[in-house]
Amino acid sequence: MFNEIMPLADVSENTKVQIVSFSGGYNFVRRLQEMGLVPGQIAKIIRNSKIGPVEVSVMGSNLAIGRGIASKILVKVVYE
Amino acid sequence: MNKKEFTVALAGNANVGKSVIFNQLTGGNQIIGNWPGKTVEKAEGFLEQEGIKLHIVDLPGIYSLSTYSEEEIVSREFIAKEHPDLVVNVVDASNLERNLFFTLQLIELEVPLVIALNQYDILENKGLHINEDKLSKLLDAPVVKTIAVQNKGLKDLFKVIKETLLSEEKKVPHIKYGKEVESRIEILVEKLKNKKIKLSYPYRFAAIKLLENDPLIKKEVNDPEILSTVKKLQEELKEIHGEDAETVIISERYAIASRIAESVITRRYMVKASIGDWFDKIALDKFWGYVFFILITIGIFYTVFKFGSYFSDLLSNWLEAFKPTFMQIPLSPFWDKILWDGVMEGVIAGIGIVLPYIAPFYLLLAFLEDSGYLARIAFLTDNLMHKMGLHGKAFMPLIEGFGCNVPAVLGTRIMERDRDRFLAAILVTLVPCSARTVIILGLVAAFLGPIYAFLIYVLDFILIVIVGRILNKFMKGTPSGLIMEMPRYRKPVMRIILKQTWIRLKEFVYIAFPIIIIANVVIELFALLNWLNPVANFLKPVVTNFIGLPPLAGVTLIFGALRKELTLVMLAGIYHTTNFASIMTPRQIFVYGFVTMIYIPCVATMAALKREFGWKRTTLIVVGELAGAIILGGLFNQILKLFMP
Repeated sequence: MFNEIMPLADVSENTKVQIVSFSGGYNFVRRLQEMGLVPGQIAKIIRNSKIGPVEVSVMGSNLAIGRGIASKILVKVVYE
Repeated sequence: MNKKEFTVALAGNANVGKSVIFNQLTGGNQIIGNWPGKTVEKAEGFLEQEGIKLHIVDLPGIYSLSTYSEEEIVSREFIAKEHPDLVVNVVDASNLERNLFFTLQLIELEVPLVIALNQYDILENKGLHINEDKLSKLLDAPVVKTIAVQNKGLKDLFKVIKETLLSEEKKVPHIKYGKEVESRIEILVEKLKNKKIKLSYPYRFAAIKLLENDPLIKKEVNDPEILSTVKKLQEELKEIHGEDAETVIISERYAIASRIAESVITRRYMVKASIGDWFDKIALDKFWGYVFFILITIGIFYTVFKFGSYFSDLLSNWLEAFKPTFMQIPLSPFWDKILWDGVMEGVIAGIGIVLPYIAPFYLLLAFLEDSGYLARIAFLTDNLMHKMGLHGKAFMPLIEGFGCNVPAVLGTRIMERDRDRFLAAILVTLVPCSARTVIILGLVAAFLGPIYAFLIYVLDFILIVIVGRILNKFMKGTPSGLIMEMPRYRKPVMRIILKQTWIRLKEFVYIAFPIIIIANVVIELFALLNWLNPVANFLKPVVTNFIGLPPLAGVTLIFGALRKELTLVMLAGIYHTTNFASIMTPRQIFVYGFVTMIYIPCVATMAALKREFGWKRTTLIVVGELAGAIILGGLFNQILKLFMP
């Protein structure tokens, strides 16, 4: 099993990932975490057209995350 | 207990139905809709029932009690410093885990709490059930199930609020963290206590927030020894967990929320993908999404136009038919003019020209707001918004601007930073509000055809994008990104849609209508005193020689600064006709339509801008738009000369 770490923005639709870390300033990270994107959390990519925002299901609801932000969230794919 | 008056605050995540509950309890007129971030300011109302008086405060929806956005500060300071007697935490039952994250922080603020488990129907539609007694025990606070949009459970909610307020024992629930975090919170609480530090927050809350690095509380504590202890404790936590202290605490809080949610929710049956999920495949598709969006938009405006023009003719003709009867009343020519041409023509313009367009427009807008579709547009347009230095959320105030620019200017508060807010507000003032829609549909579409109205809208949208891109170049700072909870689609509730429409229409009837009539009388007086021509002549070099409009049209533009629909009403008033084709050439109609769309924010919008951004920046917007409208008006006039008479 190969658990490569990559930006959320690059993960394809219908994939489950685990949040690993963030690259960004304090406020930025803080805001993401308060929306439920804490390290270790499992999220499912609902929609990722690779040009627009990414839609992920996390903590029981769906979040729209702009591409810029999504490329600063590092995740690893969870294989089931 | 002698006290009969209580303050009750409604707090909770964005888009869980706080404002719906507020409206139901107080009969208030908070604007509601299915997208996060409508309530940007706290609203207050009263409920007097069964011998007690409740002062109810609707707080903006937030995800946390930290201080990274204006709404969070507003809510936190209100709860901590105004000491409401009770906080009703409105929770989206169908999204318990995320909502509990906020509930846990309210508990840390040590306020008497009642939980309203709202949108319970949606949870049940998902095949789930919540054991509310167990939840109540775990949180140590009363729990009430509600479906606010259907007015269900609100009587129970009131009963529980009343019981909690009148009960002698003040219950203050507590939530414990993991051992490592908990022991460090205790160390800090002890320190704060020993040093008798004066704080507006409970010690435990302050201690937790200090560990989370909260800048406002750090400043309030302002004690070097304590702050160095905080630093030491944070480092220890980092040592143990390998993450920053704030991450550790947030994670633990979420873990507690998950644990509670898991233990109270039971699944009764499995539900396949909902219609909403299926619909999103189209609505959010990178190609079909836009097609759908454009079709919806065209559909709305075309419906409003068809409906409006039909009723406009019907009502105008019907009201005009009273003229012969009226003229039989023996009055001096002066009063004839004032009463018929002034007052009655004003009434006819209001009912005949404005109302038929504005009413269906508000209705469809409310429908759109309630459905949950707006957030999808925010998703779709995120990239485009980035090109203007904003992000998708900015689309919400922009859409709101179609109804009225005033709340939309306030609505820019959902943008996280001042720069984004100001930029969004400038663009908002260029969005054609309902008053401008009346002009475009009632003048351009009615006399040139819908395709020309469509063209004007397209030109306006292009203008907005260009202005956004230019401003983005000149305003410092990089834009922040989109992060937004996607609301679920909801079947719009007719009662709520009608109420929403009525709230907006009421504004028109009570405020705009009198202004229209007064303005019409004033202009009639001006005409009788022969004052119109001097004003028109003064404006002539710009209005006629450059932009190519009839000189008197300039006068109507002055009135239009008061309210945009006045331009058209005044036009009818000055020329005594609603057949605008008889007073303006097609080219003039087109240019006039475009110029009124962009030339100045109306007085109410200016006031809102001033309040949010100050005089200097407001003046900048006004002068900029005036100059822009004159230049573009002149330009279009010259270009159109090639095609249109």
